[in-house]
Amino acid sequence: MEFKDYYSILGVQPDADSKEIKTAYRKLARKYHPDMNPEKGAEERFKEVAEAYEVLKDAGRRAEYDELRQYRGQGGGGFEPPPGWRSSSGFGGAGARHFEGDFSDFFNSIFSGAEAEPRQRRAGFKGQDAEIEMPIFLEETLSETSKLVEYVIPVYENGQVTEIKKSLKVKIPVGVVDGERIRLKGQGGPGQGDAPNGDLYLHIRLVPHPLFDVEGHNLVVTVPLAPWEAALGAKVTVPTLSGKIHLTIAPDSQTGQRLRIKGRGLATKGGHGDLYALLKVVMPPSANDEVKALWLSLSQKTGFDPRSQWGN
Amino acid sequence: MTDIVLGVSLHELCQCEGLTEQLIVEVVGHGIAQPVAGNNVVDWVFDASSVHWLQKAVRLHYDLEIDWIAVAMVIDLLRENEALRRENECIERRLKRFLD
Repeated sequence: MEFKDYYSILGVQPDADSKEIKTAYRKLARKYHPDMNPEKGAEERFKEVAEAYEVLKDAGRRAEYDELRQYRGQGGGGFEPPPGWRSSSGFGGAGARHFEGDFSDFFNSIFSGAEAEPRQRRAGFKGQDAEIEMPIFLEETLSETSKLVEYVIPVYENGQVTEIKKSLKVKIPVGVVDGERIRLKGQGGPGQGDAPNGDLYLHIRLVPHPLFDVEGHNLVVTVPLAPWEAALGAKVTVPTLSGKIHLTIAPDSQTGQRLRIKGRGLATKGGHGDLYALLKVVMPPSANDEVKALWLSLSQKTGFDPRSQWGN
Repeated sequence: MTDIVLGVSLHELCQCEGLTEQLIVEVVGHGIAQPVAGNNVVDWVFDASSVHWLQKAVRLHYDLEIDWIAVAMVIDLLRENEALRRENECIERRLKRFLD
């Protein structure tokens, strides 16, 4: 087992006073707390920092740790507490909330002695809640969909962490929206004794669609138009989430105009949102001599100045 | 097939380690989470999202040793940040469609 230097983890000197330790902890906790920092590795770093603070903030535990610190590096290789070591300060109280039951072996070997309870969830409380991201395709939100959910739940038992693999079939209700959370009662971590299991929360994430953008319960599809279609009007075929429809483009249409197609958006609890066709006039990639002549004739006849708003 | 339960009652929340009725009333008082139903405290029901932010608030309060007013501000900013990040992703996708 590796000896953990709690002072260097907090970046303080071994003779630091309690105020310095508190300041160092707060600074690092703010930086690495997983609720504040989603980056990979931040959670592990926060656990280390929280564990170091848990020991160094308490005068009794710190004194015991300082005593053991003298034995580090002795006997080569890893660290073992001296034979017969029993902690008198122990550990059974509330620590950092985030990692109940998840301190290192080093910590457990020192502080789960005599009076300390083994690090496990106290009886009477329900098991730990868990949350996982649930990607859903837009098409799947239109009707009730059955999804297979596979996840891993950490279980703390006698100071050890093991994992249970679980898989569930879940009915995703019609009309779920991006960012919504769905509760699956009793599918989280196991409760101690008679206490109920924790819950599993599914965090719904709508998968970006190659054609449609989402605005609440409405959808937006960008419809490219040739300049003459925008000028003369046209009938175009437009995709929707449930099949294609025909759309009439009025003459003199512009880029950025939105045409509302009622009831072709995402499902809501009581109906459907709308689909908006967003017009985008695009130029043909190249022009031959004949086409160039036509553009020239057009430019001479329209007298159109696209930059008239700039003034002179 | 696993059934979905929409609300979380105050009683169920108080079964979570570290959550007490007094603590939940305090968190609600700071506007961090709002019950979706129940006129009296004992009848409060929260939606799943409120539970997420409520639990996050309690963790921040204890782990970072910051008071509730600061926690409420942090939660507000985290929520706003999440919403803006999502909106920004959406706008970037739409801009790309327009420029491509």
